[in-house]
Amino acid sequence: MNKSLDIIHAEHRAIAAMMHGLRQIVAGIEKGRLKPDFELFRAMIEYIDKVPEKVHHPKEDQYLFARLRERSAEALPVIELLEAEHRIGDARIREVEAAMQQYEQSGAAGFAGFQAAVTKYIEAEWKHMNTEEHEIFPLAEKHLTAEDWAVIDAAFLSNENPWKGDAGQYEKLFTKIVNIAPAPVGLGPG
Amino acid sequence: MSNMLLEGRELHTYYGASHILHGIDFHIRQGEGIALMGRNGMGKSTLIKSMLGIVRPKHGRVLVRGDDYTKATTYRTAQQGIAYVPEGRGIFKSLTVRENLLMSARAGVDGQRNWTFDRVMETFPRLGERINNGGWQLSGGEQQMLTIGRALMTNPDLLILDEATEGLAPLIAMEIWRIVKEIRKTGIATVIVDKNHGAVTSICDRAMILVKGEVVFDGSSDEIRANPDLIQKHLGVGH
Repeated sequence: MNKSLDIIHAEHRAIAAMMHGLRQIVAGIEKGRLKPDFELFRAMIEYIDKVPEKVHHPKEDQYLFARLRERSAEALPVIELLEAEHRIGDARIREVEAAMQQYEQSGAAGFAGFQAAVTKYIEAEWKHMNTEEHEIFPLAEKHLTAEDWAVIDAAFLSNENPWKGDAGQYEKLFTKIVNIAPAPVGLGPG
Repeated sequence: MSNMLLEGRELHTYYGASHILHGIDFHIRQGEGIALMGRNGMGKSTLIKSMLGIVRPKHGRVLVRGDDYTKATTYRTAQQGIAYVPEGRGIFKSLTVRENLLMSARAGVDGQRNWTFDRVMETFPRLGERINNGGWQLSGGEQQMLTIGRALMTNPDLLILDEATEGLAPLIAMEIWRIVKEIRKTGIATVIVDKNHGAVTSICDRAMILVKGEVVFDGSSDEIRANPDLIQKHLGVGH
């Protein structure tokens, strides 16, 4: 597998871990096992907003999809779908954020709306990553040339660890989330 | 001078009448990282235990830095700068985090003390927050961090992690992999036994796959990632 696809895989694992954590915490609140922690929700939403939406998706659009668009007519409809999903990514995370603010202001009455927004976001993101891994990756491996991969890999490798951030800020945010998320999702008090 | 740290040659190990390892050759050099992979019951942990003297191979040799350690006790092998983080963690639950760490502090084989208590605290800030808590009060993820921290306090040249993220939530597992990646950068050789091939091959430069006690792949991590059929055949679920 090419370096850039490896990097996307690794980034998907981090996104998946964050979404799994968010889903488990929301389920814990629904079952009455956990109380809402809005500092944690804000941190998780900030991570999803800053890292996948602002770093991961643009990189895919700019390099992988752009090259594949030139090489494969078969990939075009899928690329267009994924690019459209990237374009509405910001609006989708704003919905989650708004639902969280509503929940914080209105208390238990706001939980259902927040849960629905979180579920909607996570399901869409799962579907999106699945499409990339099961449809786009095989097409990319089939149609992109060695020269294409050299350009894409160089771009991805120059930004190999976007999760760290320029000053390590995303890494610190991730660690903060792990530390305050309640056990067994994270290391905080369960 | 050879930079070979640990070797197993033609190892055959049995549990009773069951023949588990079928003549395995293994080696790791200084600073190298090996992802040791395979489905459950394929002999990964038995290979590690056979080289550390926890389980005795019936045939074959174990060499540490070129010297014969086939019949050495586990503590003698460990004193050669090999730190083992076993499945199930194995911290001292009646001791505090601080005590667990300090009791294992020692200089490395060459007298190096690169890993001090303070450095372990910097690597695992979470442990700093729980420093006076008893081992029994820690969550699974915290226990795993403590076990790795304790291993680092021995200033090892080789760190062996056996299923380090088993049973942990994905967020915690990601955090542990991030930290292990940082530890790898310090030059400590590392053997990682884990089912998450994506994570371990991104940390290690070399990969080995065991199937029924035999090595079916020993090559670069790049090679294995480039060969999804190999991963599916030997590591895929349900095949």
